[in-house]
Amino acid sequence: MIEVISKETGNKEMVINMGPQHPSTHGVLRLELVLDGEIITKVRPHIGYLHRCFEKYAEQMDDYAKVIPYTDRMDYVSAINQEHGYVIALERMLELEVPERVEYIRVIMAELQRIASHLLGIGAFGLDLGAFSPFLYLFTEREKILDIFEKVTGARLLYNYFAVAGLMRDVHPEFKTDTAEFVKTFRPKIKELNDLLSYNKIFIQRTANIGVLPEKVAFNYAASGPVLRGSGVKWDLRKNDPYSIYDRFEFDIPVGTGEVGTLGDCWDRYMVRVKEMEQSLRIIEQALDGMPDEGDVMAAIPKRIRAKEGEIYVRTESPRGELGYYIVSDKSASPFRVKARAPSFVHLSLLPAISRGSLIADMVAIVGSIDIVLGEVDR
Amino acid sequence: MLNAVKQSWLTFKSIFTGMGVTIRHFFGPSVTLRYPEERMELPKGARARLFVNIDDCIGCNLCARACPVNCIDIETVAATKDVDLGKTSTGNPKRFWLTRFDIDMAKCMYCDLCVHPCPTNCIYMVPEYEYSEYDRSNLVYHFSNLEPEMVAEVKEKAEQEAEQKKREREEMMRKKAEEKAKKELEEKKKADEEATKNEKENGGE
Ligand code: SF4
Ligand code: SF4
Repeated sequence: MIEVISKETGNKEMVINMGPQHPSTHGVLRLELVLDGEIITKVRPHIGYLHRCFEKYAEQMDDYAKVIPYTDRMDYVSAINQEHGYVIALERMLELEVPERVEYIRVIMAELQRIASHLLGIGAFGLDLGAFSPFLYLFTEREKILDIFEKVTGARLLYNYFAVAGLMRDVHPEFKTDTAEFVKTFRPKIKELNDLLSYNKIFIQRTANIGVLPEKVAFNYAASGPVLRGSGVKWDLRKNDPYSIYDRFEFDIPVGTGEVGTLGDCWDRYMVRVKEMEQSLRIIEQALDGMPDEGDVMAAIPKRIRAKEGEIYVRTESPRGELGYYIVSDKSASPFRVKARAPSFVHLSLLPAISRGSLIADMVAIVGSIDIVLGEVDR
Repeated sequence: MLNAVKQSWLTFKSIFTGMGVTIRHFFGPSVTLRYPEERMELPKGARARLFVNIDDCIGCNLCARACPVNCIDIETVAATKDVDLGKTSTGNPKRFWLTRFDIDMAKCMYCDLCVHPCPTNCIYMVPEYEYSEYDRSNLVYHFSNLEPEMVAEVKEKAEQEAEQKKREREEMMRKKAEEKAKKELEEKKKADEEATKNEKENGGE
Protein backbone atom coordinates (compact mmCIF):
# COMPACT_ATOMS: atom_id res chain seq x y z
CA MET A 1 0.00 0.00 0.00
CA ILE A 2 1.38 3.34 -1.05
CA GLU A 3 -0.02 6.73 -0.18
CA VAL A 4 0.23 9.64 -2.54
CA ILE A 5 -1.07 13.17 -2.51
CA SER A 6 -3.39 13.91 -5.40
CA LYS A 7 -2.24 16.83 -7.52
CA GLU A 8 -5.79 17.73 -8.49
CA THR A 9 -7.66 17.62 -5.21
CA GLY A 10 -4.87 17.66 -2.68
CA ASN A 11 -6.39 14.65 -0.97
CA LYS A 12 -4.39 11.77 0.35
CA GLU A 13 -4.75 8.88 -2.07
CA MET A 14 -4.00 5.25 -1.64
CA VAL A 15 -2.68 2.81 -4.22
CA ILE A 16 -3.74 -0.79 -3.76
CA ASN A 17 -3.54 -3.94 -5.82
CA MET A 18 -6.57 -5.99 -6.68
CA GLY A 19 -5.41 -9.34 -7.93
CA PRO A 20 -3.67 -11.15 -9.55
CA GLN A 21 -5.00 -13.72 -7.08
CA HIS A 22 -8.44 -12.31 -6.45
CA PRO A 23 -11.58 -14.41 -6.72
CA SER A 24 -13.51 -11.87 -8.76
CA THR A 25 -10.94 -10.90 -11.37
CA HIS A 26 -11.86 -13.97 -13.44
CA GLY A 27 -8.35 -15.27 -13.76
CA VAL A 28 -5.06 -13.60 -13.16
CA LEU A 29 -5.71 -9.93 -13.69
CA ARG A 30 -3.99 -7.35 -11.57
CA LEU A 31 -5.72 -4.03 -11.15
CA GLU A 32 -3.81 -1.16 -9.69
CA LEU A 33 -6.39 1.05 -8.04
CA VAL A 34 -5.80 4.58 -6.85
CA LEU A 35 -8.36 5.33 -4.17
CA ASP A 36 -9.55 8.51 -2.59
CA GLY A 37 -11.23 7.05 0.43
CA GLU A 38 -13.56 4.54 -1.15
CA ILE A 39 -13.81 6.30 -4.49
CA ILE A 40 -11.72 5.04 -7.37
CA THR A 41 -9.81 7.82 -9.06
CA LYS A 42 -7.67 5.71 -11.34
CA VAL A 43 -7.49 2.12 -12.56
CA ARG A 44 -4.55 0.59 -14.27
CA PRO A 45 -4.97 -3.00 -15.47
CA HIS A 46 -1.78 -5.05 -15.56
CA ILE A 47 -1.89 -8.06 -17.82
CA GLY A 48 0.40 -10.79 -19.03
CA TYR A 49 0.21 -13.30 -16.22
CA LEU A 50 -1.29 -15.89 -18.54
CA HIS A 51 0.75 -15.16 -21.63
CA ARG A 52 1.48 -18.34 -23.55
CA CYS A 53 2.80 -17.02 -26.87
CA PHE A 54 -0.14 -18.20 -28.94
CA GLU A 55 0.78 -16.08 -31.93
CA LYS A 56 4.42 -17.08 -31.88
CA TYR A 57 3.49 -20.74 -31.46
CA ALA A 58 1.28 -20.51 -34.51
CA GLU A 59 4.26 -19.40 -36.58
CA GLN A 60 6.35 -22.25 -35.20
CA MET A 61 3.95 -25.00 -36.20
CA ASP A 62 4.66 -26.87 -39.41
CA ASP A 63 1.01 -27.13 -40.33
CA TYR A 64 -1.95 -24.74 -40.30
CA ALA A 65 -4.16 -27.41 -38.74
CA LYS A 66 -1.89 -27.79 -35.73
CA VAL A 67 -2.81 -24.27 -34.62
CA ILE A 68 -6.47 -25.17 -34.04
CA PRO A 69 -5.97 -26.80 -30.61
CA TYR A 70 -4.08 -23.68 -29.56
CA THR A 71 -6.96 -21.39 -30.50
CA ASP A 72 -9.07 -23.42 -28.06
CA ARG A 73 -6.78 -22.39 -25.30
CA MET A 74 -7.17 -18.69 -25.92
CA ASP A 75 -10.70 -18.36 -24.65
CA TYR A 76 -11.19 -21.65 -22.90
CA VAL A 77 -14.76 -20.78 -21.97
CA SER A 78 -15.89 -20.57 -25.58
CA ALA A 79 -13.41 -22.76 -27.39
CA ILE A 80 -15.72 -23.69 -30.25
CA ASN A 81 -16.19 -20.06 -31.25
CA GLN A 82 -12.45 -19.52 -31.28
CA GLU A 83 -11.98 -22.47 -33.61
CA HIS A 84 -14.82 -21.26 -35.79
CA GLY A 85 -13.12 -17.95 -36.52
CA TYR A 86 -9.83 -19.58 -37.34
CA VAL A 87 -11.19 -22.25 -39.67
CA ILE A 88 -13.37 -19.71 -41.49
CA ALA A 89 -10.30 -17.56 -42.04
CA LEU A 90 -8.42 -20.52 -43.51
CA GLU A 91 -11.35 -21.56 -45.67
CA ARG A 92 -11.65 -18.08 -47.15
CA MET A 93 -7.91 -17.99 -47.70
CA LEU A 94 -7.89 -21.31 -49.52
CA GLU A 95 -11.27 -20.64 -51.19
CA LEU A 96 -12.67 -23.95 -49.99
CA GLU A 97 -16.27 -25.05 -50.18
CA VAL A 98 -17.71 -26.22 -46.87
CA PRO A 99 -20.30 -29.01 -46.97
CA GLU A 100 -23.82 -28.07 -45.92
CA ARG A 101 -24.04 -30.53 -43.06
CA VAL A 102 -20.76 -29.29 -41.63
CA GLU A 103 -22.05 -25.71 -41.60
CA TYR A 104 -25.21 -26.68 -39.76
CA ILE A 105 -23.39 -28.72 -37.14
CA ARG A 106 -20.94 -25.87 -36.68
CA VAL A 107 -23.68 -23.34 -36.10
CA ILE A 108 -25.43 -25.58 -33.58
CA MET A 109 -22.19 -26.18 -31.72
CA ALA A 110 -21.25 -22.51 -31.80
CA GLU A 111 -24.61 -21.41 -30.43
CA LEU A 112 -24.54 -24.07 -27.71
CA GLN A 113 -21.12 -22.82 -26.81
CA ARG A 114 -22.41 -19.25 -26.71
CA ILE A 115 -25.06 -20.29 -24.21
CA ALA A 116 -22.49 -22.18 -22.14
CA SER A 117 -20.19 -19.19 -22.14
CA HIS A 118 -22.96 -16.77 -21.15
CA LEU A 119 -24.07 -19.14 -18.40
CA LEU A 120 -20.60 -19.03 -16.94
CA GLY A 121 -20.32 -15.27 -17.41
CA ILE A 122 -23.67 -14.56 -15.80
CA GLY A 123 -23.16 -17.09 -13.04
CA ALA A 124 -19.74 -15.74 -12.11
CA PHE A 125 -21.09 -12.19 -12.30
CA GLY A 126 -23.81 -13.07 -9.80
CA LEU A 127 -21.33 -14.91 -7.63
CA ASP A 128 -19.08 -11.85 -7.47
CA LEU A 129 -22.02 -9.82 -6.20
CA GLY A 130 -22.91 -12.36 -3.55
CA ALA A 131 -25.60 -14.41 -5.31
CA PHE A 132 -24.41 -17.94 -4.82
CA SER A 133 -27.38 -20.11 -5.81
CA PRO A 134 -27.82 -18.85 -9.40
CA PHE A 135 -24.21 -19.78 -10.04
CA LEU A 136 -24.88 -23.38 -9.07
CA TYR A 137 -28.12 -23.64 -11.01
CA LEU A 138 -26.54 -22.15 -14.11
CA PHE A 139 -23.63 -24.51 -13.83
CA THR A 140 -26.03 -27.42 -13.75
CA GLU A 141 -27.30 -26.26 -17.13
CA ARG A 142 -23.81 -25.66 -18.41
CA GLU A 143 -22.86 -29.19 -17.48
CA LYS A 144 -25.68 -30.44 -19.68
CA ILE A 145 -24.20 -28.57 -22.64
CA LEU A 146 -20.76 -29.91 -21.83
CA ASP A 147 -22.23 -33.40 -21.74
CA ILE A 148 -23.55 -32.90 -25.26
CA PHE A 149 -20.13 -31.67 -26.31
CA GLU A 150 -18.38 -34.55 -24.67
CA LYS A 151 -20.57 -37.05 -26.43
CA VAL A 152 -19.91 -35.41 -29.78
CA THR A 153 -16.28 -34.35 -29.58
CA GLY A 154 -14.89 -36.48 -26.78
CA ALA A 155 -13.72 -33.51 -24.71
CA ARG A 156 -15.47 -31.28 -22.23
CA LEU A 157 -13.65 -28.00 -22.56
CA LEU A 158 -10.98 -27.92 -25.25
CA TYR A 159 -12.54 -29.61 -28.20
CA ASN A 160 -10.33 -29.33 -31.27
CA TYR A 161 -13.46 -30.30 -33.16
CA PHE A 162 -13.54 -28.03 -36.20
CA ALA A 163 -11.21 -28.83 -39.04
CA VAL A 164 -10.59 -26.83 -42.18
CA ALA A 165 -13.66 -27.44 -44.38
CA GLY A 166 -14.90 -30.18 -42.10
CA LEU A 167 -15.15 -31.63 -38.64
CA MET A 168 -12.84 -33.99 -36.84
CA ARG A 169 -15.58 -36.56 -36.44
CA ASP A 170 -19.22 -36.98 -37.27
CA VAL A 171 -21.91 -36.41 -34.67
CA HIS A 172 -23.50 -39.44 -33.06
CA PRO A 173 -27.01 -40.50 -34.15
CA GLU A 174 -28.73 -39.14 -31.02
CA PHE A 175 -27.23 -35.70 -31.41
CA LYS A 176 -30.42 -34.15 -32.75
CA THR A 177 -32.68 -35.53 -30.05
CA ASP A 178 -30.17 -34.71 -27.32
CA THR A 179 -29.92 -31.12 -28.42
CA ALA A 180 -33.64 -30.70 -28.94
CA GLU A 181 -34.20 -32.09 -25.46
CA PHE A 182 -31.76 -29.59 -24.01
CA VAL A 183 -33.43 -26.68 -25.81
CA LYS A 184 -36.76 -27.76 -24.40
CA THR A 185 -35.55 -28.04 -20.81
CA PHE A 186 -33.47 -24.90 -20.96
CA ARG A 187 -36.21 -22.43 -21.98
CA PRO A 188 -37.97 -22.40 -18.57
CA LYS A 189 -34.62 -21.99 -16.86
CA ILE A 190 -34.22 -18.54 -18.38
CA LYS A 191 -37.45 -17.44 -16.74
CA GLU A 192 -36.25 -18.97 -13.51
CA LEU A 193 -33.02 -17.00 -13.82
CA ASN A 194 -34.99 -13.80 -14.29
CA ASP A 195 -37.01 -14.52 -11.17
CA LEU A 196 -34.01 -15.47 -9.14
CA LEU A 197 -31.44 -12.94 -10.22
CA SER A 198 -32.28 -10.46 -12.98
CA TYR A 199 -35.17 -8.71 -11.26
CA ASN A 200 -33.96 -9.29 -7.75
CA LYS A 201 -33.95 -5.93 -6.04
CA ILE A 202 -30.60 -6.46 -4.34
CA PHE A 203 -29.01 -7.43 -7.62
CA ILE A 204 -30.51 -4.41 -9.37
CA GLN A 205 -29.24 -2.13 -6.64
CA ARG A 206 -25.75 -3.45 -7.15
CA THR A 207 -25.73 -3.22 -10.92
CA ALA A 208 -28.07 -0.46 -12.13
CA ASN A 209 -26.40 2.91 -12.82
CA ILE A 210 -22.99 1.35 -12.19
CA GLY A 211 -20.21 1.45 -14.75
CA VAL A 212 -22.22 3.33 -17.33
CA LEU A 213 -20.74 3.01 -20.79
CA PRO A 214 -22.17 5.66 -23.13
CA GLU A 215 -22.52 4.80 -26.79
CA LYS A 216 -19.85 7.24 -27.87
CA VAL A 217 -17.23 5.88 -25.47
CA ALA A 218 -18.08 2.37 -26.58
CA PHE A 219 -17.41 3.35 -30.19
CA ASN A 220 -14.19 5.13 -29.33
CA TYR A 221 -12.83 2.10 -27.55
CA ALA A 222 -13.96 -0.26 -30.34
CA ALA A 223 -16.21 -2.23 -28.02
CA SER A 224 -18.18 -5.05 -29.57
CA GLY A 225 -20.47 -7.90 -28.65
CA PRO A 226 -22.69 -7.73 -25.57
CA VAL A 227 -20.71 -4.79 -24.18
CA LEU A 228 -21.54 -2.65 -27.20
CA ARG A 229 -25.11 -3.92 -27.43
CA GLY A 230 -25.57 -3.16 -23.75
CA SER A 231 -25.11 0.49 -24.67
CA GLY A 232 -28.03 0.27 -27.06
CA VAL A 233 -26.20 -0.25 -30.33
CA LYS A 234 -27.73 -2.83 -32.63
CA TRP A 235 -24.56 -4.44 -33.93
CA ASP A 236 -24.05 -8.14 -34.28
CA LEU A 237 -21.67 -9.62 -36.81
CA ARG A 238 -23.95 -12.58 -37.33
CA LYS A 239 -26.42 -10.13 -38.83
CA ASN A 240 -24.26 -7.22 -39.99
CA ASP A 241 -21.49 -9.21 -41.63
CA PRO A 242 -22.89 -12.73 -41.88
CA TYR A 243 -20.37 -15.54 -41.91
CA SER A 244 -20.98 -19.28 -42.13
CA ILE A 245 -24.74 -19.69 -42.73
CA TYR A 246 -26.06 -17.21 -40.19
CA ASP A 247 -27.94 -15.30 -42.89
CA ARG A 248 -30.39 -18.20 -43.12
CA PHE A 249 -31.69 -17.91 -39.59
CA GLU A 250 -34.18 -15.63 -38.04
CA PHE A 251 -33.21 -14.06 -34.77
CA ASP A 252 -33.26 -10.71 -33.04
CA ILE A 253 -30.41 -8.67 -31.70
CA PRO A 254 -31.16 -7.80 -28.10
CA VAL A 255 -29.88 -4.42 -26.99
CA GLY A 256 -29.68 -2.60 -23.69
CA THR A 257 -32.72 -0.48 -22.82
CA GLY A 258 -31.85 1.17 -19.56
CA GLU A 259 -34.87 -0.59 -18.09
CA VAL A 260 -33.87 -0.33 -14.43
CA GLY A 261 -31.22 2.37 -14.58
CA THR A 262 -29.16 4.24 -17.13
CA LEU A 263 -28.57 2.94 -20.62
CA GLY A 264 -25.27 1.08 -20.77
CA ASP A 265 -24.92 0.17 -17.11
CA CYS A 266 -23.86 -3.19 -15.74
CA TRP A 267 -27.41 -4.49 -15.59
CA ASP A 268 -27.97 -3.75 -19.28
CA ARG A 269 -24.87 -5.65 -20.29
CA TYR A 270 -25.98 -8.52 -18.09
CA MET A 271 -29.50 -8.54 -19.54
CA VAL A 272 -28.24 -8.53 -23.11
CA ARG A 273 -26.51 -11.82 -22.37
CA VAL A 274 -29.63 -13.32 -20.86
CA LYS A 275 -31.70 -12.34 -23.88
CA GLU A 276 -29.02 -13.56 -26.24
CA MET A 277 -29.31 -17.05 -24.82
CA GLU A 278 -32.95 -17.09 -25.89
CA GLN A 279 -31.97 -16.02 -29.41
CA SER A 280 -29.32 -18.72 -29.51
CA LEU A 281 -32.00 -21.27 -28.65
CA ARG A 282 -34.02 -20.01 -31.60
CA ILE A 283 -31.07 -20.41 -33.94
CA ILE A 284 -30.39 -23.92 -32.64
CA GLU A 285 -33.98 -24.94 -33.23
CA GLN A 286 -33.94 -23.67 -36.80
CA ALA A 287 -30.57 -25.26 -37.47
CA LEU A 288 -31.75 -28.61 -36.10
CA ASP A 289 -34.68 -28.47 -38.49
CA GLY A 290 -32.55 -27.58 -41.48
CA MET A 291 -29.64 -29.91 -40.79
CA PRO A 292 -29.20 -32.54 -43.53
CA ASP A 293 -29.07 -36.08 -42.20
CA GLU A 294 -26.63 -37.34 -44.75
CA GLY A 295 -23.20 -36.17 -45.72
CA ASP A 296 -19.60 -36.93 -44.97
CA VAL A 297 -18.20 -34.29 -42.66
CA MET A 298 -14.60 -35.33 -43.19
CA ALA A 299 -14.55 -35.66 -46.97
CA ALA A 300 -13.59 -32.08 -47.81
CA ILE A 301 -10.73 -31.74 -45.34
CA PRO A 302 -7.57 -31.05 -47.34
CA LYS A 303 -4.66 -33.41 -46.70
CA ARG A 304 -2.10 -30.67 -46.81
CA ILE A 305 -2.78 -26.99 -46.51
CA ARG A 306 -0.81 -24.82 -48.85
CA ALA A 307 -2.02 -21.27 -48.90
CA LYS A 308 -1.18 -18.79 -51.59
CA GLU A 309 0.85 -15.79 -50.68
CA GLY A 310 -1.45 -13.25 -49.13
CA GLU A 311 -3.23 -12.12 -46.04
CA ILE A 312 -6.73 -12.25 -44.68
CA TYR A 313 -8.71 -10.80 -41.81
CA VAL A 314 -11.88 -12.55 -40.74
CA ARG A 315 -14.09 -11.43 -37.91
CA THR A 316 -16.69 -13.51 -36.17
CA GLU A 317 -19.04 -12.92 -33.29
CA SER A 318 -17.73 -14.76 -30.28
CA PRO A 319 -19.73 -14.64 -27.03
CA ARG A 320 -17.47 -11.83 -25.91
CA GLY A 321 -17.51 -9.74 -29.06
CA GLU A 322 -15.72 -9.36 -32.33
CA LEU A 323 -13.08 -12.03 -32.60
CA GLY A 324 -10.80 -11.43 -35.54
CA TYR A 325 -8.02 -13.47 -37.04
CA TYR A 326 -5.44 -11.86 -39.22
CA ILE A 327 -3.41 -14.49 -41.04
CA VAL A 328 -0.49 -13.83 -43.35
CA SER A 329 0.76 -16.61 -45.57
CA ASP A 330 4.11 -16.81 -47.31
CA LYS A 331 3.34 -19.96 -49.29
CA SER A 332 5.09 -22.21 -46.76
CA ALA A 333 3.33 -24.91 -44.74
CA SER A 334 2.99 -22.76 -41.64
CA PRO A 335 1.42 -19.33 -41.23
CA PHE A 336 3.84 -16.46 -41.48
CA ARG A 337 1.87 -14.49 -38.93
CA VAL A 338 -1.31 -15.05 -36.96
CA LYS A 339 -2.79 -12.17 -35.04
CA ALA A 340 -5.89 -12.59 -32.97
CA ARG A 341 -8.05 -9.59 -32.24
CA ALA A 342 -9.35 -10.60 -28.86
CA PRO A 343 -12.53 -8.85 -27.67
CA SER A 344 -11.60 -9.36 -24.02
CA PHE A 345 -8.41 -7.42 -24.51
CA VAL A 346 -10.25 -4.51 -26.08
CA HIS A 347 -12.89 -4.51 -23.38
CA LEU A 348 -10.31 -4.59 -20.64
CA SER A 349 -8.97 -1.30 -21.92
CA LEU A 350 -12.44 0.12 -21.28
CA LEU A 351 -12.08 -0.40 -17.53
CA PRO A 352 -10.30 2.86 -16.68
CA ALA A 353 -12.87 4.81 -18.67
CA ILE A 354 -15.98 3.41 -17.05
CA SER A 355 -14.88 2.82 -13.49
CA ARG A 356 -13.52 6.25 -12.62
CA GLY A 357 -15.53 7.70 -9.77
CA SER A 358 -17.24 4.52 -8.67
CA LEU A 359 -16.90 2.79 -5.33
CA ILE A 360 -14.34 0.09 -4.83
CA ALA A 361 -17.09 -2.46 -4.19
CA ASP A 362 -18.55 -1.67 -7.60
CA MET A 363 -15.28 -2.47 -9.32
CA VAL A 364 -16.18 -6.13 -8.93
CA ALA A 365 -19.50 -5.57 -10.68
CA ILE A 366 -17.87 -3.69 -13.54
CA VAL A 367 -15.19 -6.31 -14.13
CA GLY A 368 -17.87 -9.01 -14.02
CA SER A 369 -20.16 -7.20 -16.42
CA ILE A 370 -17.62 -6.88 -19.23
CA ASP A 371 -17.05 -10.63 -18.91
CA ILE A 372 -13.39 -10.96 -19.77
CA VAL A 373 -11.44 -14.17 -20.00
CA LEU A 374 -7.82 -13.66 -19.17
CA GLY A 375 -6.69 -16.47 -21.41
CA GLU A 376 -7.87 -14.41 -24.33
CA VAL A 377 -6.49 -11.11 -23.04
CA ASP A 378 -2.97 -12.46 -22.66
CA ARG A 379 -3.11 -15.16 -25.33
CA MET B 1 -43.29 7.88 1.68
CA LEU B 2 -45.50 6.07 -0.78
CA ASN B 3 -42.49 5.45 -2.96
CA ALA B 4 -40.54 3.98 -0.06
CA VAL B 5 -43.36 1.57 0.74
CA LYS B 6 -43.60 0.59 -2.89
CA GLN B 7 -39.87 0.01 -3.09
CA SER B 8 -39.85 -2.14 0.03
CA TRP B 9 -42.77 -4.14 -1.30
CA LEU B 10 -40.93 -4.74 -4.59
CA THR B 11 -37.84 -5.78 -2.69
CA PHE B 12 -39.73 -8.28 -0.57
CA LYS B 13 -41.59 -9.59 -3.57
CA SER B 14 -38.46 -10.17 -5.63
CA ILE B 15 -36.68 -11.81 -2.71
CA PHE B 16 -39.57 -14.20 -2.09
CA THR B 17 -39.87 -15.06 -5.77
CA GLY B 18 -36.20 -15.94 -5.67
CA MET B 19 -36.71 -17.98 -2.51
CA GLY B 20 -39.45 -19.90 -4.28
CA VAL B 21 -37.03 -20.90 -7.00
CA THR B 22 -34.46 -21.97 -4.45
CA ILE B 23 -37.00 -24.06 -2.56
CA ARG B 24 -38.12 -25.76 -5.74
CA HIS B 25 -34.52 -26.66 -6.46
CA PHE B 26 -34.07 -27.80 -2.88
CA PHE B 27 -36.76 -30.43 -3.24
CA GLY B 28 -35.85 -31.27 -6.79
CA PRO B 29 -33.69 -34.23 -7.77
CA SER B 30 -30.02 -34.13 -6.92
CA VAL B 31 -27.69 -33.33 -9.80
CA THR B 32 -24.37 -34.29 -8.26
CA LEU B 33 -22.54 -37.57 -7.79
CA ARG B 34 -20.67 -38.66 -4.67
CA TYR B 35 -17.52 -39.14 -6.61
CA PRO B 36 -15.41 -41.96 -5.26
CA GLU B 37 -18.48 -44.12 -4.56
CA GLU B 38 -20.34 -43.22 -7.73
CA ARG B 39 -18.61 -42.62 -10.99
CA MET B 40 -19.66 -40.90 -14.15
CA GLU B 41 -19.76 -43.12 -17.16
CA LEU B 42 -17.73 -41.46 -19.89
CA PRO B 43 -19.31 -41.65 -23.34
CA LYS B 44 -17.84 -43.76 -26.08
CA GLY B 45 -15.11 -41.84 -27.81
CA ALA B 46 -14.23 -39.68 -24.85
CA ARG B 47 -10.70 -38.39 -25.07
CA ALA B 48 -9.11 -39.12 -21.72
CA ARG B 49 -6.00 -41.21 -22.20
CA LEU B 50 -3.94 -42.39 -25.14
CA PHE B 51 -3.41 -46.03 -25.80
CA VAL B 52 -1.24 -47.73 -28.40
CA ASN B 53 -1.87 -51.23 -29.56
CA ILE B 54 1.80 -51.89 -30.17
CA ASP B 55 1.22 -55.16 -32.02
CA ASP B 56 -0.41 -53.25 -34.82
CA CYS B 57 2.05 -50.40 -35.03
CA ILE B 58 4.24 -50.32 -38.13
CA GLY B 59 6.50 -47.56 -36.85
CA CYS B 60 5.63 -45.09 -39.57
CA ASN B 61 6.09 -42.10 -37.27
CA LEU B 62 3.02 -40.31 -38.66
CA CYS B 63 1.50 -39.82 -35.23
CA ALA B 64 4.66 -38.30 -33.81
CA ARG B 65 4.84 -35.89 -36.72
CA ALA B 66 1.21 -34.85 -36.30
CA CYS B 67 1.61 -33.99 -32.64
CA PRO B 68 1.82 -30.25 -32.00
CA VAL B 69 3.65 -30.62 -28.69
CA ASN B 70 6.06 -33.40 -29.67
CA CYS B 71 5.16 -35.68 -26.81
CA ILE B 72 5.41 -38.93 -28.77
CA ASP B 73 8.91 -40.30 -28.95
CA ILE B 74 9.43 -43.16 -31.37
CA GLU B 75 12.66 -44.95 -32.18
CA THR B 76 12.63 -47.64 -34.82
CA VAL B 77 15.23 -50.08 -36.00
CA ALA B 78 14.91 -51.67 -39.40
CA ALA B 79 14.34 -55.41 -39.20
CA THR B 80 17.14 -57.55 -40.62
CA LYS B 81 16.53 -59.84 -43.54
CA ASP B 82 16.47 -63.03 -41.51
CA VAL B 83 13.43 -62.04 -39.39
CA ASP B 84 9.86 -61.61 -40.46
CA LEU B 85 7.88 -59.37 -38.12
CA GLY B 86 4.63 -60.47 -39.66
CA LYS B 87 1.67 -58.33 -40.47
CA THR B 88 -0.68 -56.15 -38.50
CA SER B 89 -4.30 -57.09 -38.05
CA THR B 90 -5.11 -54.66 -40.85
CA GLY B 91 -2.72 -56.43 -43.21
CA ASN B 92 0.11 -53.90 -43.34
CA PRO B 93 3.55 -55.54 -43.32
CA LYS B 94 5.74 -54.61 -40.37
CA ARG B 95 9.27 -53.64 -41.24
CA PHE B 96 10.58 -52.03 -38.09
CA TRP B 97 11.40 -53.04 -34.57
CA LEU B 98 9.87 -50.47 -32.24
CA THR B 99 12.69 -50.09 -29.77
CA ARG B 100 11.06 -47.07 -28.17
CA PHE B 101 7.50 -45.80 -28.17
CA ASP B 102 7.02 -43.35 -25.34
CA ILE B 103 4.12 -40.96 -24.86
CA ASP B 104 4.43 -38.25 -22.26
CA MET B 105 0.87 -37.94 -20.99
CA ALA B 106 1.86 -34.99 -18.82
CA LYS B 107 2.66 -33.02 -21.97
CA CYS B 108 -0.21 -34.32 -24.09
CA MET B 109 -3.08 -31.91 -24.62
CA TYR B 110 -5.62 -34.51 -25.74
CA CYS B 111 -6.10 -32.89 -29.10
CA ASP B 112 -6.66 -36.15 -30.96
CA LEU B 113 -4.47 -35.04 -33.88
CA CYS B 114 -2.22 -38.09 -33.60
CA VAL B 115 -5.15 -40.49 -33.84
CA HIS B 116 -6.33 -39.56 -37.31
CA PRO B 117 -3.25 -40.11 -39.49
CA CYS B 118 -2.45 -43.61 -38.17
CA PRO B 119 -2.73 -46.06 -41.07
CA THR B 120 -3.51 -49.05 -38.86
CA ASN B 121 -5.71 -47.29 -36.27
CA CYS B 122 -3.56 -48.56 -33.46
CA ILE B 123 -3.21 -45.33 -31.51
CA TYR B 124 -6.43 -44.17 -29.95
CA MET B 125 -8.04 -42.56 -26.92
CA VAL B 126 -9.63 -44.61 -24.18
CA PRO B 127 -12.17 -43.26 -21.71
CA GLU B 128 -10.10 -43.71 -18.59
CA TYR B 129 -9.44 -40.74 -16.40
CA GLU B 130 -8.11 -41.90 -13.06
CA TYR B 131 -4.41 -42.05 -13.59
CA SER B 132 -2.88 -39.38 -11.37
CA GLU B 133 0.66 -39.99 -10.25
CA TYR B 134 2.84 -38.63 -7.47
CA ASP B 135 5.82 -38.49 -9.77
CA ARG B 136 5.56 -36.89 -13.16
CA SER B 137 7.99 -39.35 -14.75
CA ASN B 138 5.40 -42.06 -14.19
CA LEU B 139 3.20 -40.32 -16.71
CA VAL B 140 5.59 -41.17 -19.50
CA TYR B 141 4.06 -44.32 -20.88
CA HIS B 142 6.31 -46.88 -22.46
CA PHE B 143 4.41 -48.84 -25.04
CA SER B 144 7.31 -50.71 -26.58
CA ASN B 145 7.21 -54.35 -25.46
CA LEU B 146 10.82 -55.20 -26.28
CA GLU B 147 13.13 -56.20 -23.46
CA PRO B 148 16.34 -54.16 -23.13
CA GLU B 149 18.45 -57.17 -24.16
CA MET B 150 16.26 -57.62 -27.20
CA VAL B 151 16.63 -53.96 -28.05
CA ALA B 152 20.40 -54.24 -27.81
CA GLU B 153 20.32 -57.38 -29.92
CA VAL B 154 18.19 -56.01 -32.73
CA LYS B 155 20.17 -52.81 -32.72
CA GLU B 156 23.43 -54.73 -33.02
CA LYS B 157 22.02 -56.90 -35.76
CA ALA B 158 20.69 -53.94 -37.63
CA GLU B 159 24.01 -52.18 -37.23
CA GLN B 160 25.86 -55.21 -38.48
CA GLU B 161 23.59 -55.43 -41.45
CA ALA B 162 23.95 -51.77 -42.13
CA GLU B 163 27.72 -52.13 -41.81
CA GLN B 164 27.67 -55.06 -44.17
CA LYS B 165 25.60 -53.16 -46.65
CA LYS B 166 27.88 -50.18 -46.34
CA ARG B 167 30.91 -52.36 -46.92
CA GLU B 168 29.31 -54.01 -49.89
CA ARG B 169 28.40 -50.66 -51.28
CA GLU B 170 31.89 -49.35 -50.72
CA GLU B 171 33.32 -52.42 -52.37
CA MET B 172 31.11 -51.92 -55.34
CA MET B 173 31.98 -48.26 -55.50
CA ARG B 174 35.66 -49.10 -55.40
CA LYS B 175 35.33 -51.66 -58.12
CA LYS B 176 33.42 -49.25 -60.23
CA ALA B 177 35.97 -46.55 -59.61
CA GLU B 178 38.79 -48.92 -60.51
CA GLU B 179 37.12 -49.95 -63.70
CA LYS B 180 36.47 -46.39 -64.56
CA ALA B 181 40.10 -45.46 -63.90
CA LYS B 182 41.26 -48.38 -66.04
CA LYS B 183 39.03 -47.38 -68.85
CA GLU B 184 40.15 -43.82 -68.68
CA LEU B 185 43.75 -44.88 -68.68
CA GLU B 186 43.22 -47.02 -71.74
CA GLU B 187 41.39 -44.27 -73.49
CA LYS B 188 44.16 -41.87 -72.72
CA LYS B 189 46.72 -44.29 -74.03
CA LYS B 190 44.76 -44.73 -77.16
CA ALA B 191 44.38 -41.04 -77.61
CA ASP B 192 48.08 -40.54 -77.04
CA GLU B 193 48.94 -43.22 -79.53
CA GLU B 194 46.65 -41.72 -82.06
CA ALA B 195 48.09 -38.33 -81.47
CA THR B 196 51.64 -39.53 -82.01
CA LYS B 197 50.51 -41.44 -85.11
CA ASN B 198 48.86 -38.35 -86.49
CA GLU B 199 51.93 -36.31 -85.77
CA LYS B 200 54.06 -38.84 -87.55
CA GLU B 201 51.73 -38.86 -90.49
CA ASN B 202 51.66 -35.10 -90.56
CA GLY B 203 55.38 -34.95 -90.18
CA GLY B 204 55.84 -37.49 -93.00
CA GLU B 205 54.12 -35.30 -95.50
S1 SF4 C 1 -3.44 -36.13 -28.36
FE1 SF4 C 1 -2.44 -34.37 -29.32
S2 SF4 C 1 -0.92 -33.72 -27.83
FE2 SF4 C 1 -1.55 -35.79 -27.24
S3 SF4 C 1 -0.05 -37.12 -28.21
FE3 SF4 C 1 -1.77 -36.94 -29.61
S4 SF4 C 1 -1.25 -35.26 -30.99
FE4 SF4 C 1 0.12 -35.13 -29.21
S1 SF4 D 1 0.85 -43.64 -36.80
FE1 SF4 D 1 0.15 -45.61 -35.97
S2 SF4 D 1 1.39 -47.12 -37.05
FE2 SF4 D 1 2.39 -45.14 -37.37
S3 SF4 D 1 3.91 -45.02 -35.69
FE3 SF4 D 1 2.05 -44.03 -34.95
S4 SF4 D 1 0.94 -45.62 -33.89
FE4 SF4 D 1 2.46 -46.66 -35.15
